[in-house]
Amino acid sequence: MKKENVIKMLGSILKEKQISGIMAALGLLIVIASLSSPYFLTAYNLKAVIRSLAFVSIVAIGQGCLLLLGEIDLSVGSVAGLCGVIGGILMVNVGINPYLSLILCLLLGAILGFLNGLITVSLKLSSLIVTIGTAGIYKGINLVISKGRAITDIPKEIYFLGQGYLFNIPMPFVIMLIVLVLIVFLTKYTPFGRYMYAVGNSKEASWILGIKVNFIRISTFMITGLLAALAGMIMVARLGSSQPAIGELWVLNSIAAAVIGGVALTGGIGSPAGALIGATIIGVIENIIVLCGVSVYWQTAVSGVIIVGAVALDSISRMGVLRKKKI
Amino acid sequence: MRILEAHNITKSFPGVIALKNVNVAFETKKIHGIIGENGAGKSTLVKILTGIYQPDKGGILIEGKEAIDHRNKKLFEKVTFVPQELDIFQNMTVAENLFIPFRKSGFEDTFVNMGKLYRAAIPWLEKFKINVDPNNLVKNISISNQQLLQVARAFVNKYFKIIILDEPTTSLTISGITCLFDAIRKLKTEDKAIIFISHKLDEVFDICDEITVLRNGEKVGYSRVKDIDRRWVITKMSARDINEESTFRPKKRKKEDIILEVNGLSGLGFSNISFNLHKGEILGFSGLVGAGRSEIMQTIFGLLPVKSGNIKFEGKPWEFGNTNFSIRMGLFYLPEERKRQGILPLLSVQHNISIALIDKISNGVVISSQKERNLVEKVIYSYDIKTPTIKKQIIYLSGGNQQKVIIGRAMFCMPKILIFDEPTKGIDVGTKNDLYRMMKEIVDEKGVSIILVSSELEELLRCSNRIITVYNGEKVGEFETENTKESKILNSILGENIKNSTECKL
Repeated sequence: MKKENVIKMLGSILKEKQISGIMAALGLLIVIASLSSPYFLTAYNLKAVIRSLAFVSIVAIGQGCLLLLGEIDLSVGSVAGLCGVIGGILMVNVGINPYLSLILCLLLGAILGFLNGLITVSLKLSSLIVTIGTAGIYKGINLVISKGRAITDIPKEIYFLGQGYLFNIPMPFVIMLIVLVLIVFLTKYTPFGRYMYAVGNSKEASWILGIKVNFIRISTFMITGLLAALAGMIMVARLGSSQPAIGELWVLNSIAAAVIGGVALTGGIGSPAGALIGATIIGVIENIIVLCGVSVYWQTAVSGVIIVGAVALDSISRMGVLRKKKI
Repeated sequence: MRILEAHNITKSFPGVIALKNVNVAFETKKIHGIIGENGAGKSTLVKILTGIYQPDKGGILIEGKEAIDHRNKKLFEKVTFVPQELDIFQNMTVAENLFIPFRKSGFEDTFVNMGKLYRAAIPWLEKFKINVDPNNLVKNISISNQQLLQVARAFVNKYFKIIILDEPTTSLTISGITCLFDAIRKLKTEDKAIIFISHKLDEVFDICDEITVLRNGEKVGYSRVKDIDRRWVITKMSARDINEESTFRPKKRKKEDIILEVNGLSGLGFSNISFNLHKGEILGFSGLVGAGRSEIMQTIFGLLPVKSGNIKFEGKPWEFGNTNFSIRMGLFYLPEERKRQGILPLLSVQHNISIALIDKISNGVVISSQKERNLVEKVIYSYDIKTPTIKKQIIYLSGGNQQKVIIGRAMFCMPKILIFDEPTKGIDVGTKNDLYRMMKEIVDEKGVSIILVSSELEELLRCSNRIITVYNGEKVGEFETENTKESKILNSILGENIKNSTECKL
């Protein structure tokens, strides 16, 4: 894809009203952040912020795709953790080429997502319940395999993905941007993406249009699983070890980021790209807390407030839509 | 006696004036019809009369007292309202539904006494001829009974003096309508005012004493019913002279050319259905609500599972349970539940159209924005869809325009068969004729065959070449429309064994 096309595409996303409101909120937050601490706008701090928010963003972009369909995946954290551990074993214990291991782990993530989707679709269950269950299963397998211990001595070749820089930008953020462009392209400019919106609006109407609804749903679960695995693997590269606890905090934050970014929890509207902005807002708030010397124990409470606030905003904006509709 | 008066009511919403200076008065012992096309302001007026909306200007007098004044809020308790859509508690019993909220229906006890509710419910159910046990869960009784129950519930309110019925007959069977009208007429003698809102002119002329016509938020006509005829109402409503009598039957039917052959089809709620669809005809399907017409169509299309039977399409075997296959073969289903099954409510008009035409605007991988816009504009132009821009969310379009989007996008897929399921439900008289004309054109000019499912016999008589009648899940008759009397078809859809079926009885 040409560079100007990419810019045009990102521009068209920003034109969507909901996102420009969120952008304004983000701008305001950045002003507050730079006023409250002189360290916020330093290159070192900014690099740290965008590096750390890249992980949640990748997961949240995947989560956003599923929310768009009116589904949800609470197993993203467990998928990331399990793929990280298995990646570690493949690289260290089995001794497979680290990049091949990486690809195998992404495939594993897609398979785990496929299982989530298959159970949800074929048994006509709520994905909320199914993924609470599979989250437990994946986490359990992770703990059985790793016995709760980290796998160290990850081959140095892949450190670059987690710790390196491209044009002075941290690699995780670069990877996240690539993912973002791909997903935005997928959702906006391909038949598959259009079908995602259709299914999110109304499954019944989609059946009647002849859309292969279940194929779309399962495929999207696979995308979400794959992106969770990707985030997990980059985290392994970042830490230089496979921690079984990788991904634990990503589940709620990925949902919050997507919802703040304008994807309705009920599906059918918004763009997964908004998830990046949502994740940035969360990342900046967490950074302010740290820079201002507030106890880190507050962080969890603040994330909670953000999630509730985001869901409330989502609901209030939808009530607005309904009110207009009744005229 | 004038019990409810609205003076100079004006109400606007961002971008639209819903009501302009409307004056209307309702008297006890009278049934007052309010009629108007979609968007004429009927529902806004109702919401103001029931105190849900505050008017921008004007006043409401209930029993001569100003009701908008906050000190008199309680006056609105005298107005009871039956909404158009079913709005009852599916998982509660019939008796509970009847008396909720308990304070208004006279059950002031702290604890709910189910036995007392049960006994109190029986006379009400008898009055409305709802033949169910008061302890039944509402979800287990028929849709027609649910709608009657919803009306009965409004009557239970012990404070009420004025009742507003918004399209109360949309899901009622013919005998249900008769029961309802009997109850309404009885109420007239009890010193109550009745406001009746409907699209169906027959009903309005049948039951109302006086009538107010709204158009574009203005009151354009008022008369006693006995002084006017249908033509007067239609002209007032649409500001156009619409000939209701003309027929829209396709002319180029090829009787020897069978495109769809259905043999002994059985599925959920129907059994052993066989019929042929000819090329270039409109085939009507008539029957009561719940007779299984939609189920037959949805089974053919692939939405519902099939139990037995087979279908030949252009002589070739058919695949069941696969909507994608049906669409690829050129058989399209245009659903009755437009809001839930037809449109994609949160998406723009553009995306609602292009979603069905993806093959034509993409190379398989990427969608071309240019091609998309051109094609969408062509559909909008060809099917006369009225929308401010193609980016407008489709929920803001009127029902008729939404229907045109659904038809237009299907037509651009080059269909061979279109199944219309209640295409004019909730659509006003003027747009109805547009749709009939459109259907005829589709058949005569594009060679498409149409199956038309409708509850309005008049519609079927005007549009279809043949009519098949369905009763209780079985095919009971097949008629050439041209030389068949309406009464013959009516008897058929009511089941031949039922005598005097237009009378209200248990």
